[in-house]
Amino acid sequence: MRTKINGAILILLGLFLVGAPWLLDLFGVGFWLDILTEILIWSLFAASINLLFGYTGLLSFGQALFFGFGMYGVAIGVEKLGLGFWPALGLGMILATSMAAVTGALAVRLTWHYFAIITVVFSLIFYFVALSAKWLTGGDDGTPFSMPPMFAFGETEISMSSYTTQYFFILTVVALAFYLKYRFVNSPLGLALVAIRENDARAEMIGLNVYLLRLTSFIAAGALAGLSGCLFALFGRYASASYMFYHVSGEGVVWTLIGGAGTILGPVLGTALVIVVREELSNVWEHYPILVGLFVILTVVFAPRGLMGLWNSLMDRIEARFDGGKTPTPMTPGGGKHTRDTTLQSATVRPELET
Amino acid sequence: MELVAALAINGLVWGLIIALIALGLSIIFGLLDIINLAHGDFFMVGTVLTWFVFSSTGNYWLAFLIVPIIGLVLGALVERAVIQPIRGKAALSIVATFGLSIIIQETVRATYGAAPKRILPPIEGTIPLFGLEYDVYRIFAAIVSILAIAGFFAFLHRTKLGTWMRAVRIDRETALAMGVPATNVYILTFALGFALAAFGGVVAAPITTVEFQSGVDVLPFCFMAVIIGGLGNLPGTVAAAVLLAVTEGIVTSFADPTTARILSLCLMSAVLIVRPHGLFQGATR
Repeated sequence: MRTKINGAILILLGLFLVGAPWLLDLFGVGFWLDILTEILIWSLFAASINLLFGYTGLLSFGQALFFGFGMYGVAIGVEKLGLGFWPALGLGMILATSMAAVTGALAVRLTWHYFAIITVVFSLIFYFVALSAKWLTGGDDGTPFSMPPMFAFGETEISMSSYTTQYFFILTVVALAFYLKYRFVNSPLGLALVAIRENDARAEMIGLNVYLLRLTSFIAAGALAGLSGCLFALFGRYASASYMFYHVSGEGVVWTLIGGAGTILGPVLGTALVIVVREELSNVWEHYPILVGLFVILTVVFAPRGLMGLWNSLMDRIEARFDGGKTPTPMTPGGGKHTRDTTLQSATVRPELET
Repeated sequence: MELVAALAINGLVWGLIIALIALGLSIIFGLLDIINLAHGDFFMVGTVLTWFVFSSTGNYWLAFLIVPIIGLVLGALVERAVIQPIRGKAALSIVATFGLSIIIQETVRATYGAAPKRILPPIEGTIPLFGLEYDVYRIFAAIVSILAIAGFFAFLHRTKLGTWMRAVRIDRETALAMGVPATNVYILTFALGFALAAFGGVVAAPITTVEFQSGVDVLPFCFMAVIIGGLGNLPGTVAAAVLLAVTEGIVTSFADPTTARILSLCLMSAVLIVRPHGLFQGATR
């Protein structure tokens, strides 16, 4: 039941994304293609935060650092070093990932509050560095660049100057990244990360190397954030220090949490919702962020598992109703061994580990 | 040399005000286990309320009385509405206070406006100090901050409520068993945290610009003081705030402010990694 409904929704979403350039034109809202592209890029950024928070239990408020390194890698690569499209993209990815490896090696030694704070501090340090290193980054003004072609076959060039090409390039990259992330979190490695999220002391005791696993997750998340930064630089044709400020990281956390941390599609849903609200409301009511803030607090208080969490519990109820007769629940009073096991487990799990 | 002295004294004054605000952040962290990303905005609300009080009554001194009281009320309301439902979920509290910060900033922008404004200091004139003419108001601000900090510590150690606050922090279960109303103590703590930040806003209003974004700059500085002083270590927080501000002031005399800020952030990350309980670990607690 659930897999069928979810599968159908996924196929519809895929069809919509592939057909979007024509569909949006058909309804006379072609300009939404740009917003859709932006949603795709930012949902990749949210996915990076989700990998750390939702799957590893580490709340990072500094992912904007790697986003910014991806951006600057592309922009400086094209503008200052004269690189082509693909080498610049590669430079952005290498910069972001190696930055994640260096900062991660220090940051994942800490957990909880300390981890959240040190990620903010690292991103603040490089935000100020980017602001003051005007010769390299352009400081406040940022680094604009002109788009190099993606492929050139003699006279004909394929480049991102066409909106449709740009959209499909970004859609392909984002879809690929999400597929990789899906494989990653469902691999034994991903399951080990979830084990650490649930109880790091126990994970350590069954022989998992908690430090190394957290670092792996941090680097993978840094690469995802870096990729979204590269794409955003290509999309906006510039890089700016303002995208490295901790507010950008905070927005990513908000999108992830509203959509539902610890689910693959949650961050996409949250990002899409907040950006659509922004686009629709910013013209009508200038102070729409009040609504976003209220929504954040309501989510945190009433639905800490986000919209995907609400959806999943709805599915649970539907399933219980339809399949209730076939699979009796083992939670009967005085039930079998299974019941006792689960109560024992939930009593020892630390309450703050709830994500 | 005179420039260095001026910047060092400026740093001292600013450090004492920051210490006041950071104390609020520190008690909220120490007792409620909450990383309050809206704390800079509590300060900003203090400066904006001061502007409203000053422009409607023409009396600056009234703000010293009214604004902290409004801060207490707002703090209690926020604790009850936002913080209480998510107690014990540390990660969620960071996100909730981030949402709170967005709401506060936007509300102020909607009501007060986006343009920065300035308030003239209620005490004008200068006095000679170490060979330079120094604003009297800044000296006054430093003295008021010291008095407020001393008053807060006296409250914490000499009154019943203060003892309750310390008791709940040390051992909540035992405090509850002894009849301490822990839930109300949480509300009081958060309200006091808000009021301290707002009071810092009253003191600082004439020496900074009053605008909806002024909390964004103050927040990292407060966090640096709290971390370097040791999370939850209140005297450490005060010492670190003053130390940091004076150092930044002196560094600013031969490098630009951004470099000074980068240096103190590096110091902060070193402290976080090497001595996560702060520089003054073991001094109190």
